[in-house]
Amino acid sequence: MAKEFELNEVEVWDGNYAASQALRQAQIDVVAAYPITPSTPIVEGYGAYVANGYVDGEFVMVESEHGAMSGCVGAAAAGGRVATATSSQGFALMVEVLYQASGMRLPIVLTVVNRALASPLNVRGDHSDMYLGRDSGWIQLDAYNPQEAYDLTLCAFRIGEHLDVRLPVMVHQDGFTTSHKAQNVTPLKDDVAYKFVGDYVPVNDMLDFSRPVTHGAQTEEDWHFEHKAKQHKALMDSRTVIDEVLAEFKELTGREYKRVETYYMEDAEVALVVLGSSVETAVIAAEELRAEGIKAGIVSPRCFRPFPYDLVRDALDVPSLKAVCCMDKSAPGGAMGALFNEISAAAYTTESRPLITNYIYGLGGRDFSIEEAKRIFKEQKAHADAGHITTPIQQFSGVRGPKLGFFETRRG
Amino acid sequence: MSTGVLGTEKRGIRELGAEEKVGWDEVTRGVVLDSFEGDATDIVHKKAEERNYSDFNSYTATVASWRIIKPVYNRDICIDCQNCWVWCPDTSIISRDKQMLGIDYDHCKGCGVCVEVCPTNPKSLLMYSEATDNDEALAGWPQKEKKEKK
Amino acid sequence: MAITSIKNLKEFSTANDRFEGSHLLCPGCAHSMIVRELMNATDDNLVIASNTGCLEVSTAVYPYTSWDTSWIHIGFENAATAAACAESMFKARKRKGTLPNPDAPVKFVAFGGDGSTYDIGFQWLSGAMERGHDFTYICLDNENYANTGGQRSSATPVGAHTSTAQAGTHSYGKTQRKKDIVSIMAAHGAPYVAQLAPNKWKSMAKGFQKALETEGPCFINTVSACTTEWKFDPKDTINVTDLATDSLMFPIYEIINGHELNILYRPKNVIPVEDYLGAQGRYKHLFKPEYRHVIDMIQKEVDEKWELLQRREEARV
Repeated sequence: MAKEFELNEVEVWDGNYAASQALRQAQIDVVAAYPITPSTPIVEGYGAYVANGYVDGEFVMVESEHGAMSGCVGAAAAGGRVATATSSQGFALMVEVLYQASGMRLPIVLTVVNRALASPLNVRGDHSDMYLGRDSGWIQLDAYNPQEAYDLTLCAFRIGEHLDVRLPVMVHQDGFTTSHKAQNVTPLKDDVAYKFVGDYVPVNDMLDFSRPVTHGAQTEEDWHFEHKAKQHKALMDSRTVIDEVLAEFKELTGREYKRVETYYMEDAEVALVVLGSSVETAVIAAEELRAEGIKAGIVSPRCFRPFPYDLVRDALDVPSLKAVCCMDKSAPGGAMGALFNEISAAAYTTESRPLITNYIYGLGGRDFSIEEAKRIFKEQKAHADAGHITTPIQQFSGVRGPKLGFFETRRG
Repeated sequence: MSTGVLGTEKRGIRELGAEEKVGWDEVTRGVVLDSFEGDATDIVHKKAEERNYSDFNSYTATVASWRIIKPVYNRDICIDCQNCWVWCPDTSIISRDKQMLGIDYDHCKGCGVCVEVCPTNPKSLLMYSEATDNDEALAGWPQKEKKEKK
Repeated sequence: MAITSIKNLKEFSTANDRFEGSHLLCPGCAHSMIVRELMNATDDNLVIASNTGCLEVSTAVYPYTSWDTSWIHIGFENAATAAACAESMFKARKRKGTLPNPDAPVKFVAFGGDGSTYDIGFQWLSGAMERGHDFTYICLDNENYANTGGQRSSATPVGAHTSTAQAGTHSYGKTQRKKDIVSIMAAHGAPYVAQLAPNKWKSMAKGFQKALETEGPCFINTVSACTTEWKFDPKDTINVTDLATDSLMFPIYEIINGHELNILYRPKNVIPVEDYLGAQGRYKHLFKPEYRHVIDMIQKEVDEKWELLQRREEARV
């Protein structure tokens, strides 16, 4: 039996350590992992638990991130709880297997410490890797601080392993701003945490020799589409289970999470849509602006996948709302930012039909300040007052050099 | 359709591709396929005719239509050496209790390896066109070949 | 483990096949001869992983499976990792008491073609060997990417024509040597490594059993004659394999604990490699006057390799 880890009521943990503690408490059967900045401390932390008797499961340090996710798939098909951690290039190397894991309906938990993608090489946080995963068929939850990284990692096992879901789950946190930022974290006791996560229930277990199963069959044009449709439906249907698990977690801890988080939206005139640690920055900016009389609000799709189209629409369907800026922390590669596109699609069906613009910001760990958030809010206020967009629709925040902007509004 | 050892109730009951194409709601979750129906513990000690194959098991499908030539088996000459059994790439030599019983024509693709590895003289397996009647083939079986003196 | 008796072929033939017919491998394909023999060589439960390749695309095409055991395919390169980490899961669950059949014997096996073994899956295989998982990796070496129509791999021998190393007026086919995967795997310090061939069914079955019985990561390279891409009549699979082993193009040997080499088959009459090459369309061009020197070169290398193997066997180091 694994030793119990003595925890204080309040610990001072960074996001990485918080995630590694959640992995330990879930009593994972196999962790197959490979180190990469900035998620390495998750794996190292777990390694320390292994070395000191806090883990009963196997810890397999493989030769690459592709190997890590491959190992997770093989182990998960063998009927036990599986998790790993990665970032950035490692995440990119895993992508092939991410699609295989979800198509094979294996409830693996992947803690992703978000980091930029090369080239040029960069170890700092942005959302390029998180965005890279957005069509991979995984559930993607986004933590804004160490406490949330801990909480959502515990919830991830419950969600993915739910018998109605059986899909892999990523829990994202921002590289360095969350992963290396120590904050107060209120953990659960080991037994309470494990009780919440629950025993693993094997499905299509390769080690159940009374029922030989074939995993990973090929499907060609006669069958592929039906399987992908079924998988998509499972991902869409997981919304109900996510809500149930988050509600149960609130019962247990008092800490409430929603698939779409909203702050000060009830009477908002202008809003930012942001993800990750920037949410907290934007909230402080909004509070300061409200003192100045600008009714600023924030919307954040904490559940990035399945995309909460209806909840985003509800969050934006505020009669007072005039202008919204979608903040994408990933190089968009010749398009509007992904958040802009997805939020715009949802907003299109609202009564309020706010003006929507797009900022690309924070690439490669560029700081996003409260002042900059306030400036962007104020720019939205200018759009709102003018009744049309007064700037290019896509702009860059915090980049040096001549102003970059793309696409003009047709009005004005 | 014959039953028993030489052709069980589930063997080769449909052409590959002839299975019912069900909708997304009925395909198996995670593309997983069960090899058997019910408890299959200790399947290794069960012969094909004792197993409860699921419809997903390729045992239940036939590739007979791939074949343009077929092996015909002559029991009278066979010495049960089992060469054909060990080298058949299509699990199509039916052997039970160290005896060669016949050919599984549902799974045989007509490669002819069994004939090549047959050591008897004349051979106990010979290839004939698919249309040839087996009894006719047996009636006209060649005689023992005399070895050429070196 | 419960070993199927392989004293003689009659006894071996009482094994109940767990690899079923109506798979989609070509008529006369050696892959299934090898896979059948592996599965018939043990009574233990098997957890099998396959890389993408001929074997995989032919034996698990929805809605059919030809496998009567647990089986998994993920991608082209990662069967070694899948089998290895399934084995890790077995250990974890055994320790925790969550196995459904805790006393049932089980063996973990991974299959890959030469493309996925020598080339794209090389790193995954090396990692799994280094970590020491208790599993057996079997390479079905047909010396090309047969599943995609016969492109060169690093297992393709000198002089062979493939679609990406073509023979023509300016080329005699592949100019690079075949990678020595057996030595590389032995260099990992694996407890059991062998090169085996299906025409020598007994040494192959015994080698499989040794690998399955040996604790730790074992590797076996099997010669899998490819009727389609080597270009010979499907009926001749075993005949061509006989030529391969008797010409010593494919010597049959094992290496124990990385150093102890044993030759498992010594042809009574060694035939010239020319006889082996001449039986296959992929070497046809070598018989043109301008390329005959390549045959001499191949013969020389085969002779040297055989000499080396014999000396290593003798040296016992």
